[in-house]
Amino acid sequence: MSSVLSIDKITKFYGSIRALNEVSFNVQEGSVFGILGPNGSGKTTMLGIVMDILKASSGNYLWRGQPGSAPMRQQIGTLLETPNFYHYLSGEKNLRIAAEVKQKGQDEIEKVLHLVNLYQRKDSKFSTYSLGMKQRLAIASTLLGSPEILVFDEPTNGLDPAGIAEIRELIKELNRQGKTIIMASHILDEVEKVCTHVAIIQKGELKASGSVQDILDRKTVDETVFELAADDLVALQTIVQQMNGVLKTSLVDNYLQAVFANSVTATSVNQFCFEKGIVLSKLNIKRKSLETTFLEITGTKSER
Amino acid sequence: MLHLLKIEWLKIKNYRAFWVFAILYLVSIFVVTYISWYVEQRTKSEIPQTAMILGDSFGFPKVWQTVGWLSSWLLYFPGMIIIMLMVNEFNFKTHRQNIIDGWSRQQFIGVKFALVIIFSLLITLINIITCLIFGSISYGHFSMDGTAYIFYIFIQALAYLFFALMLAVLFRRSGLAIIIFFLYGIIFEWLITALLTFNFHLSPAGYFLPLQASDVLIPIPFGKKVFYPDSPSSSILIIAVLAYITAYVFFARKKFLIDDL
Repeated sequence: MSSVLSIDKITKFYGSIRALNEVSFNVQEGSVFGILGPNGSGKTTMLGIVMDILKASSGNYLWRGQPGSAPMRQQIGTLLETPNFYHYLSGEKNLRIAAEVKQKGQDEIEKVLHLVNLYQRKDSKFSTYSLGMKQRLAIASTLLGSPEILVFDEPTNGLDPAGIAEIRELIKELNRQGKTIIMASHILDEVEKVCTHVAIIQKGELKASGSVQDILDRKTVDETVFELAADDLVALQTIVQQMNGVLKTSLVDNYLQAVFANSVTATSVNQFCFEKGIVLSKLNIKRKSLETTFLEITGTKSER
Repeated sequence: MLHLLKIEWLKIKNYRAFWVFAILYLVSIFVVTYISWYVEQRTKSEIPQTAMILGDSFGFPKVWQTVGWLSSWLLYFPGMIIIMLMVNEFNFKTHRQNIIDGWSRQQFIGVKFALVIIFSLLITLINIITCLIFGSISYGHFSMDGTAYIFYIFIQALAYLFFALMLAVLFRRSGLAIIIFFLYGIIFEWLITALLTFNFHLSPAGYFLPLQASDVLIPIPFGKKVFYPDSPSSSILIIAVLAYITAYVFFARKKFLIDDL
C-alpha cells in the first residue's frame, strides 16, 4: 500500500512555545487515520501545516510523494478547525464558491447538500445556521468532487447525538468506497469506533502511532477484567475469591469487578459460580479500550 | 486570473455593504460636484468680480482637475470597501478555506491586487463621466488639454486603495485598519505636511508623504501656489506615488505569503 501523506520530523514554534516537536508518521492509502490528542496538543497545527496555511519551523511533508501544492489541495476535501464560510451568503452560494475554488462541477452541490441533510436550508444565510448545521455544511463542502483524500478536524464538533452517529457512519461509508480519511479528534471513543490507524499526540510530541489494534495490544497485560453481579454480591465475592486464577476482586457500585489471569474464560467463571449455587445476573468481559491505553501512554493527568 | 476574478465576484455581489458604499460613492461624486458647480455659478452671477479668481473651474480643460480634486476626498469610500472585503476574509477565516480548497497564497493575494486595479479603473471611469457631464454644461470646448488628469486620477485611486489593502492585510481588523486609514489620511498627513512646509520650511519634503504625493498631483483648482508652494513637478510626484504603490504591494504580499494565516 502506498503512502498518502508522509510527515517527516515536523517542528513548529509559536514564538518560544514549541507546538510540535519532530513529529513523523505515515498515512497509508485506504486507512482511516486518527490523530488523537487532548485540546492544545498540536493536532490542528499539524493539519494546518500540511494544508499550507501554517508554516512549519522545520521538517517536511509529502502528499502522495509530492510536495504540497494548490492543485494537490484541490483533490483533498478538508475541514479544518471551524466551518469557514461567508456569513452573508447562503449555504448553497458558499458551496458554489468552494466548488469554483476546487474547480469541481456545480452539479455536485445539490448532491452533497442532500448527503448532510441540509438541502431544505440551502437558501438560508450561513449566519442563521446552528453550530451543527455549520458543521454539516463544512462536511458537505469537503465532499465536493468526491475527493480520494479527506481531512477532518473534529468532524463531530457541535453535532447532536444523531448527527454524530450519521457523520461517523458517513466516514465509514467513505472509507468503504476506498477513500483515505485523516481525522483529528480528542474523543477517544470516536477514534476507536471509526479509525483503523491512530497517532497519539500530546504536547506536540508523538507518543505512539500505528494501527488501532497494535496500539491496543501494545500495553496489554496478561489479565482480563470481568464485571459480575448476582443477588448477593458479598456471597459472590467470597465464592469468586476461591476460584483458580483470580488475581483481585473489588466491589464497585452494584457489581463485582474481578481480575483474572488470561486463561480464565467467561464460561468457566459462569460454571464455577453456578456449581457453588450462585446464579449470575451479569457477566461482562471488559475489553481494554483505547481510553485505557491512551491514559497509560499519556499519563493519567490531563497534561497540556 | 479571469476565473479567480469570477470567484471574487461571487463573494462581492451579494455583499450588501459593498453596494451601500459603492452607491454612496457614486451619488456623492455627482452631488458634491453639482453643489460645487452650483455654488460657483451663484457666486459668479452675484459677485461678477470673483470670476477673475475662480476662472471657469467646470469648463474644459479645467474640469478634469476640479472633479479629480473633489472626488479625491471621496476615495475613502472605495478604500473602506477594500478594507472590508479583505478583513471579511480574515474574520470568516475564508482566506484559510480558499487556500485549503486549492488556491495558492499567491493567487489569493494576487486577485485582491487585481480587484484594487479594477476598482481604480471604475473610479476613473466614473470621474470621466462626471467630467464630461459637467464640462459639457459649462463654457469651453472639449479638447485633449487637461486629460492628463485622467491618468493622475487613476494613479491616485491606486495609491489610496493599495494603501487601504496593505493596512487591512497588516492589521487584519476592520476597525483598526479603517481608523488608521481615516486618521492618517484626513488628519495626520495634513498636519505633518503643514508642519514640514510652513513651520520648518522643508518643502517639498512634505509633499512626498504616502497619500499626499498623489494629492499634490491633483491640486486644488485655484490657489495652488498658496496651498502647495514649491510643489515638485508631476513626473517626480508620479515616480514617488508608483514607488509607494510598489512598497504597499511588496509588504502586503510578503506578509501574506510568509506568515501563518
